[in-house]
Amino acid sequence: MQTSALSTENIRKDFPILQRMVRDGKPLVYLDNASTTQKPNQVIDAISDYYKNHNANVHRAVYALAEESTEAYEKTREKISKFLNIKNKEEVIFVRGTTEAINLVAYSWGRQNIKKGDIIVTTEYEHHSNIVPWQLLANEKGAKLEYIGINDNGELILDQLDSYLKTGKVKLVAFSQVSNVLGTISNSEEIIKRCKKAGVKTLVDGAQSVPHMKVDIEKLDCDFFAFSAHKMLGPTGVGVLWVRKEILETMPPFHGGGDMIREVHKYETTWNDLPYKFEAGTPNIADVIGFSAAIDYLSNIGMDAIRQHEIDLTKYALEKMSQVKGITIYGVKDILNRGGVISFNFHDVHPHDVATIIDREGIAVRSGHHCAQVLMERLNVAATNRASFYIYNTKEDVDKLIKSLEKVSELYKL
Amino acid sequence: MSDPLYTEIIIDEARNASNEGTLENPDISQHDANPMCGDSITLQLNVNDDSISDVKWHGDGCTICKACTSVLTQLIKGKDLDYARNLKKEEILSELGLEYLLKQSPIRIKCALLSLKALKLGLYSFLGKKIEDSASLNNLKEEASKLY
Repeated sequence: MQTSALSTENIRKDFPILQRMVRDGKPLVYLDNASTTQKPNQVIDAISDYYKNHNANVHRAVYALAEESTEAYEKTREKISKFLNIKNKEEVIFVRGTTEAINLVAYSWGRQNIKKGDIIVTTEYEHHSNIVPWQLLANEKGAKLEYIGINDNGELILDQLDSYLKTGKVKLVAFSQVSNVLGTISNSEEIIKRCKKAGVKTLVDGAQSVPHMKVDIEKLDCDFFAFSAHKMLGPTGVGVLWVRKEILETMPPFHGGGDMIREVHKYETTWNDLPYKFEAGTPNIADVIGFSAAIDYLSNIGMDAIRQHEIDLTKYALEKMSQVKGITIYGVKDILNRGGVISFNFHDVHPHDVATIIDREGIAVRSGHHCAQVLMERLNVAATNRASFYIYNTKEDVDKLIKSLEKVSELYKL
Repeated sequence: MSDPLYTEIIIDEARNASNEGTLENPDISQHDANPMCGDSITLQLNVNDDSISDVKWHGDGCTICKACTSVLTQLIKGKDLDYARNLKKEEILSELGLEYLLKQSPIRIKCALLSLKALKLGLYSFLGKKIEDSASLNNLKEEASKLY
């Protein structure tokens, strides 16, 4: 039973892990895609092919292998630029992931631009990676960290942004395009428009948006953008930081070392061109090349079809889940403003008990605080369960989830 | 419908846990938490002539944690301190049929034994002020740290 948007049957054939059994012969139902996605053969093979046939360091030697690896590595940068409608490919910096991308901005741009008394604004539904780097920076500089709150529907209260902007002290607004817990799709263009008007820089955490919907950075018009490969079929350990060129040119280096320099003398060094100035040391070449295959895979399906598939699945799941006795579902009701993420709890049942019970049926969902303890405090819960979908999930997966959730209700007599 | 871990006995024990609450001036009050699960409990004891005259616990925990904490408090209430010092994990687990967790679930055993760890650590701090047999005291601390 597939949604009309995607041919899940064919897609599933590309993912070897989806063929395996868990827990005494139960087929794996993988619903923890907001955490990390599974990898298709195309990505696994690209990495293996690189090591088998092309392995050499990039940007250095002149022999054949080095040329091949450099070309494949740089081609990924071009591919990403095209995928996200980025004009200058030298604005694309390879990092380890979203977390490192945000830390790079905090360390390099932040230390140069944030002063005592300044305000950095983030939101109540951020991942720890978009909170802790700003806490570190604010503490170091004597700046203040403020939060845009959420309403009971799980949406940002933009009036609060306006009051912060009015103080004239805000230097940066950092927010996620899609919440990793509630699935809320932020009104990014509106937030950025208001910040622009006030002369305030914006950082967008795209970890939960880029894998699931079409993102156009040119149109978005933010200043910093971060996302990770492993949440979009790619390998772990690769992510991207995009920074608008005028800003990137003013930023001091993050890490010092090889590849980021033009000339090194005993007491002074000149920096390499962008983006290499921000890519010190031998990069994660093999996984960048694997990421390239992931982008090809997603592009072949088409981001609009992927989004439609997730809308269909999430709608189906929300309808069925709301019938389960004793369940509370968090987040936005309007399916068009919501990604394929559903957080839920059962009356008086701890999320870890829920996860253990449904794991017996081979179903993998996340339980815990999802690296969003500020949001957990706001929702007044210690933890939640979370099911999140991707291109290989089917309505049958949802049916199996529902059946296992009904078992929880029954065991606890809810 | 049944489940080997979530039996009616365990769910009922957790839902109607014994000795949940707070003591006003406890002689022993020990907090401990399990970061993986988010279990976070405080165990409190009153001691009279080397005997545990009252025991309460409060906090937030999963079903396994609450059920085992409830059983632990039932076992030690009214007993002397030596009994509590020597209480074995198997005694608590067997009350709920959970001995198999020791072998089969290195993750969930932490939920089951959190309160026992709190008890041992609480006794260690309490007795540290009273007795000078440091060897046997250190055994207690060692035992607490090696419970799971």
